[in-house]
Amino acid sequence: MASEDELNLLVIVVDVNPIWWGQQGQREPEFTLCKCLDAVMVMGNSHMAMTRTNRLAVIASHCQDSHFLYPSKSWESGDSGGDEISSSRDGKYELLAVANNLIAEEIRSIMTKTEVTGNSTDTLLAGSLAKALCYINRVSKELEVGQEMKSRILVIKAADDCALQYMNFMNVIFAAQKQNILIDACVLDSDSGLLQQACDITGGLYLKIPQKVALAQYLLWVFLPDSEQRSQLVLPPPAHVDYRAACFCHRNLIEIGYVCSVCLSIFCNFSPICTTCETAFKIQLPQMVKPKKKKLKQAA
Amino acid sequence: MASLSEEVLLVVKKVRQRKQDGTLYLMAERIAWGPEGKDRFTVSHLYSDIRCQKISPDGKAKIQLQLVLHTGDSTTFHFANESTALKDRDAAKELLQQLLPKFKKKANKELEEKNRMLQEDPVLFQLYKDLVVSQVISAEEFWANRLGGVNNGEPAPYNNKQEVGISGAFLADIRPQTDGCNGLRYNLTADIIESIFRTYPAVKQKYSENVPHNLTEKEFWTRFFQSHYFHRDRINTGSQDIFSECAKQDEKGLKSLVTQGVKNPLVDLLSLEDKTLDEGYGISKALPSTSNANKSVKESSNSAIIKRFNHHSAMVLAAGSRKGDPPTDQASETSSTDGNSRDSDFFQPPLKKVKLQEAIEYEDLQRENTPKTVALNLKKSDRYAHGPVPLQSQQYTTSQDIINSVSYIQQEMANYKPNLTRVLSSTTATSAIAALSPGGVLMQPVGQQSINQMVPTDIQGELKHLYIAAGELLRHFWSCFPVNTPFLEEKVTKMKTNLERFQMTKLRPFQEKVQRQYLSTNLTGHLEDMFQKAYSKFHIWQTRRMMRKT
Repeated sequence: MASEDELNLLVIVVDVNPIWWGQQGQREPEFTLCKCLDAVMVMGNSHMAMTRTNRLAVIASHCQDSHFLYPSKSWESGDSGGDEISSSRDGKYELLAVANNLIAEEIRSIMTKTEVTGNSTDTLLAGSLAKALCYINRVSKELEVGQEMKSRILVIKAADDCALQYMNFMNVIFAAQKQNILIDACVLDSDSGLLQQACDITGGLYLKIPQKVALAQYLLWVFLPDSEQRSQLVLPPPAHVDYRAACFCHRNLIEIGYVCSVCLSIFCNFSPICTTCETAFKIQLPQMVKPKKKKLKQAA
Repeated sequence: MASLSEEVLLVVKKVRQRKQDGTLYLMAERIAWGPEGKDRFTVSHLYSDIRCQKISPDGKAKIQLQLVLHTGDSTTFHFANESTALKDRDAAKELLQQLLPKFKKKANKELEEKNRMLQEDPVLFQLYKDLVVSQVISAEEFWANRLGGVNNGEPAPYNNKQEVGISGAFLADIRPQTDGCNGLRYNLTADIIESIFRTYPAVKQKYSENVPHNLTEKEFWTRFFQSHYFHRDRINTGSQDIFSECAKQDEKGLKSLVTQGVKNPLVDLLSLEDKTLDEGYGISKALPSTSNANKSVKESSNSAIIKRFNHHSAMVLAAGSRKGDPPTDQASETSSTDGNSRDSDFFQPPLKKVKLQEAIEYEDLQRENTPKTVALNLKKSDRYAHGPVPLQSQQYTTSQDIINSVSYIQQEMANYKPNLTRVLSSTTATSAIAALSPGGVLMQPVGQQSINQMVPTDIQGELKHLYIAAGELLRHFWSCFPVNTPFLEEKVTKMKTNLERFQMTKLRPFQEKVQRQYLSTNLTGHLEDMFQKAYSKFHIWQTRRMMRKT
C-alpha cells in the first residue's frame, strides 16, 4: 500500500496528429479521435479515482506545438468553470467532471486552430515529452515538506516516428531515466523504435495493441497499475529492443563496424580518412611472406 | 665422498644412525653421515631440504638429534659417545640452528607462494583439483604461467627500510638507580649506545680506539659516565680523562656552528635576546656585556647548560640528517648543520634567492602546465544528431491528402462531446482481455521458462567447474599455435591427449548424469563444439606437418 503522503502523478501524452487521425477516421470510422479521447478520459478518471492523492496531466502532441489539455491555465481562475459543472447532475466526483470538461474544451479549441503546412507533418513527440518532464519537475518542487512523488508518463502514439527528433528524443529518455520517471508506450499503428528504447531504458512498458477499438481496456489493464503493483501482476513481457547503431555514411543499422578513435563516428566500411574529423588512419597490412625457394635436388 | 672444496665445520665421532656406528660431518651447505670405517656418506642432506631439527628431551637416556625434511621424511642421529654425547649433540644443534635459517628461505618461498595462491582463490583451487589431482595435466604445466613473479628472484620490497631516528631524550633515558651501597647503576641498552654513537661521533671514535685494546666495554662506559664530559658542569676536565678531547672538540664544534649561522636570510637570530625589561614588556636594548667577570655565577652555569643543550640538539639533528654512518666521510658533506664539518660559504647567494622566492610566490597561483591537447575538428557534426533510418518507407502523403485529413478532423472535433458510457463494448473488452491473459496473443514469451529455472543448482555448479577447467585446457592448447619450436610441437600433442582425456573422464560422465535425470536441455553442446574445433585444428596441423615432411 502506498503511504498516505505519496503522490502519484500520471502524465498522458496523446498524439493528436490531425493528418493521421483524419486518415484514420476515413479508414476506420469506428475508431476516431473522439473515441481515443474518450478512452483517455476513462483512463485519467480511473487513475484519479484510485487514490485521493493521485494526480493527472494530459498533453496533446500536435504537429505545430504541444498543448496542455489538463490542467489548463483557465482553470486556475476558477470562475468560468462554475456553470458547466452544475449542469452535470449525475453525482460525478467533481474533480473528474471538471477534468473531462476541460479536456474536451481544450482539444476542441486546438483542433479548430489547426493550420498545417506541408513541411511539418510529424508529431512533435519529443517536445511533448520534454514538457511533461518539465511539468513533473515543477510539481515535485511545489510539494509540501515530507511529501514524496512518483511520476510516470504514458504515451499514446498514433503517427510514425520522426527521424529528425532522434537526438531530442534520446536526451529526453536519459533525463527521464535520471529522474526515475517511467515512460510507458501504447502504440496504435506501427512499431516505434524510439519508444521501445525509451521504455526499455526507463523501465516502462511498451505495447502495440492489436485492436484499436479496445484501447480503453488495454489502457486500464496494462497501464493503470503503477510500477510497484506491476511486479505483482502478469503483464505482457518486454519486447526485444534493437539497439544496433546506424552507420554515419548510409544510416544502415549495423552490428559490426569501424569506429573512429578520435570522434567516435561509426562507419560500415573502412576508409583511410575519417570523414567527420579528417583524421588519417594507418593500418598495418599483413606482411607478405615470400615463398621460400626450395632447392631442387638435381637428379644425378 | 665430500669434495675437497667443501668446508667442514664440525665433525662428531661416534654417532649412530639406524643402529650403525659412524661419524657426523657438518659442512658448509649440507649435513652428512658416514658409517665407521667407510669413506662414503650414506646419509647426506642439504640444509635447504631440512625443515626443522628436533632434539630428545634432556632427561632421556638416549641423546638424539632428529632432522625433519620438507618432504616429511626424518633422519635420527644417536650420539653414543659416553662422555661427550650431550656436548656433541648440543654443539651440532647450535651449529644447525645458525645454518638452517640461511638456507631455509630459498626453497620454502616457492611452496609457500603456491599454497598461498591456492588458499586465496577458491576458483584456482577448484581448477587445481580438477586438473592436477585427477592427473589431466601435470603440476608443472599448471604453475608454469602463474608463478612468474617468484621464479624471477625479485628482491623483496622490504629492502628499503626507513632509517630509525634518534630520540632527543636518549640521554635522559639512562636513569641512574642507586645501588644500595653508595653506587649508581646505569642501564645501557644497545639502542642507547647506538644513539650515543650516532649523535657524538667523537665518542664513537674513542670507543673504537680504546675497546677492546685498552679497556673493556664495561670499563669504557663506566669511565664515560664518571667523566665530567657526561655531567652537566664541565668545569673540571682533568687531562687524564680520555673524554677531555671530546669536550674540546665539542667546544670547537659549537663555535663553528655559531659562526656558520643560520642560512635563511629571512630569519634574524641575533635580534632575539633574553634580557627583558620585565615580564611582558619586551626586550631591552642594553648592549650585551662581553666581559665574563660581570656575569654572576648563576648566570654562567645557566649559560653553560643552555650551551650544552643547544649543542646536544644540534648534534641530534645532524645525526638524523646524516644518511648512513659516514664518520670518515665528513669531508664530502658540504652543507651540514654539524659544526665539525667544513662550512659552505659558496652556497650562500643561491640559498638566499631560493628563500626569497619561496616567500614571494605561491605554487597554486601559478599558471597550470597542462599538457597541450589537440582540438577536435569536426566537419560534419550533424551526423551525430540523426538516428537510424526507419526500416519502413515513409508513407507519402500528398498535399491534397493533408488538406482533406485536416478538414475532416476539424469537422469531427468541432462537435466533440465526451461520451464515457459508450467507450467499450463487452465483446471488444473480452477479446482484449483474452489477448492479455497468459497464453494470449500478447503474452507468448511468458510460457518459455528460462533454463536456469529448469536445471538444478548443483548441476549448474558442476557445469561451471567444467567450463573453467575446459577453458584452462583449451587456453593451453590454443596458445601453442603457431607451432614454431619443437617444444611447442610436443606441447600441442600433449595438450590434445589431455583434452581427450578430459573429455573421457569428466565430460562424458556429466552428460550421462544429465541425461539420466531426464533433462532434455543440451547443456554440453557448446563444450563439445569447442573440443571438436580444437581436434580439427590439431588434425589440420598434423596433416600439414606430414605434407611438409614428405
